[in-house]
Amino acid sequence: MSLQSVLESGKFAVTAEVGPLKGIDTTEITEAAELLRGRVDAANVTDQQSSVMRLGSMAICHLLQERGLEPVFQVTCRDRNRLALQSDLLSAYVLGIKNVLAITGDLPVLGDHPQAKPVYDLDSVQLLWVISRLNEGYDMVGNELQGKPSFFPGAVVNPGADTEASFELQLIKMEKKINAGARFFQTQAVYDVDSFVKFMKRVEGFEVPVLAGVIPLKSVGMARFMNKNVAGVFVPEELIKRMSEAEDKAQTGIQIAADLMKELKGICQGVHIMAIGWEKKVPQILDAAGL
Amino acid sequence: MIGQTQKPIEEILGFLDGKEKIVLVGCGGCATIFHTGGEVEVKEMADTLSKHGKNILAAIAPPFGEFTCYAPWSKARLEQYRKEIEDCDAILMLSCGDGLQVVRELVLEDEYGLTKPIYPGTDPIGHMGGGPSLFREKCQQCGECLLGQYAGICPMTQCAKGLLNGPCGGSKNGKCEQEPEHDCAWILIYERLKKLGDLDKIKEFVAPKDYSKMKRPRQIEVAPL
Repeated sequence: MSLQSVLESGKFAVTAEVGPLKGIDTTEITEAAELLRGRVDAANVTDQQSSVMRLGSMAICHLLQERGLEPVFQVTCRDRNRLALQSDLLSAYVLGIKNVLAITGDLPVLGDHPQAKPVYDLDSVQLLWVISRLNEGYDMVGNELQGKPSFFPGAVVNPGADTEASFELQLIKMEKKINAGARFFQTQAVYDVDSFVKFMKRVEGFEVPVLAGVIPLKSVGMARFMNKNVAGVFVPEELIKRMSEAEDKAQTGIQIAADLMKELKGICQGVHIMAIGWEKKVPQILDAAGL
Repeated sequence: MIGQTQKPIEEILGFLDGKEKIVLVGCGGCATIFHTGGEVEVKEMADTLSKHGKNILAAIAPPFGEFTCYAPWSKARLEQYRKEIEDCDAILMLSCGDGLQVVRELVLEDEYGLTKPIYPGTDPIGHMGGGPSLFREKCQQCGECLLGQYAGICPMTQCAKGLLNGPCGGSKNGKCEQEPEHDCAWILIYERLKKLGDLDKIKEFVAPKDYSKMKRPRQIEVAPL
């Protein structure tokens, strides 16, 4: 069953993220694909995540597709102008890639090529609008396409924005993304279920499925790092304490992720697991969560 | 104004290597305000280069208010030093790149028919306003001003990603993830539109920007003053 069918049928969806490495070694990713196939509804492939130059998302999406794991092609606006974005989308489509996650993309200065010229010719809302145009059979300036794609576009939202203005702006932008064509959302990592419930109450009326982001904790340091540095991520002290008291940190991190997923099951329409190097542990997390 | 900093002296000396007779040209506009090419800096540069064995034929410092990038003024000013300019081995410009290129093309080449080495003494860092000490970039001359939609705050310039439809997810405590000292433009826009009772503006879809209005080099013809 495709991700689109799962979400449209109202089933609880599970997606996981895989990140291409720097270079041409695809062993890790194809091994992860074997483990994830049949366990998740789709796998997102990141687009030079954190602005670190890596193997491209489209090629890995294609490899996953060949191995029977449905990909979600993550496309950022950071590196490509409107010609390249549209062309890459069409290229992906002819390789069988239908799911697209439209994102703005991290700034190059935060990555390993800080000297790069940032593009941002389009923003994520405009990119979603462009995908909708392609789905209608036209490019963004109205020229007719030979053959019409049928993308299933998604977008991201940060449910943990830390100030009132920032939170309201996330909701405003989410609604703009829906109006521009977003059919599902994947969120930044959620650890604080109470505030996520408040977010979900606010977006209920949008009637677009939301897959809550889940990042398994690997250490106390990781939790503190995210609290300090990652916008919109808040790991409650109670979880940090659980990690610090644990003898087997990995097992506890897995259990915390599984517990979160069990809770989230009653709150939103799916989960999106960003394992960040722990892709092979995803089946274990799913087992522990009963998914 | 064009914000600018002075180039490292080593770089300037590198340009002037093997060149003995030098003419310095400053600017009474931005370069005076940014302390890169006003009367004081032109004199300082003349002294420094003299210490490095250069023969300064002329150290031209237009008075405050006289922009070197405005050709009628620079033509009139440099005419007083035409002989020194013709005799020199190189010209060092203590102005922005506009000043340098106006002098190179409209004065040296078009007026005097001279092909002389001309070098920059500053690194221009953008069009900015403010002062007297802090200057910030506020406008990038996109050719189609959007300030009317955004409560007078330009997201193309104030947002590190130049986003037109709302913030990325990267603001923390109202600050930008790229520059933690820098306010998130979108929070400023939101707060100001809210105070103006115009928040609905932020909900409108903004179509992709027409960047053909920024295709370079741009030019314009106006009636002379």
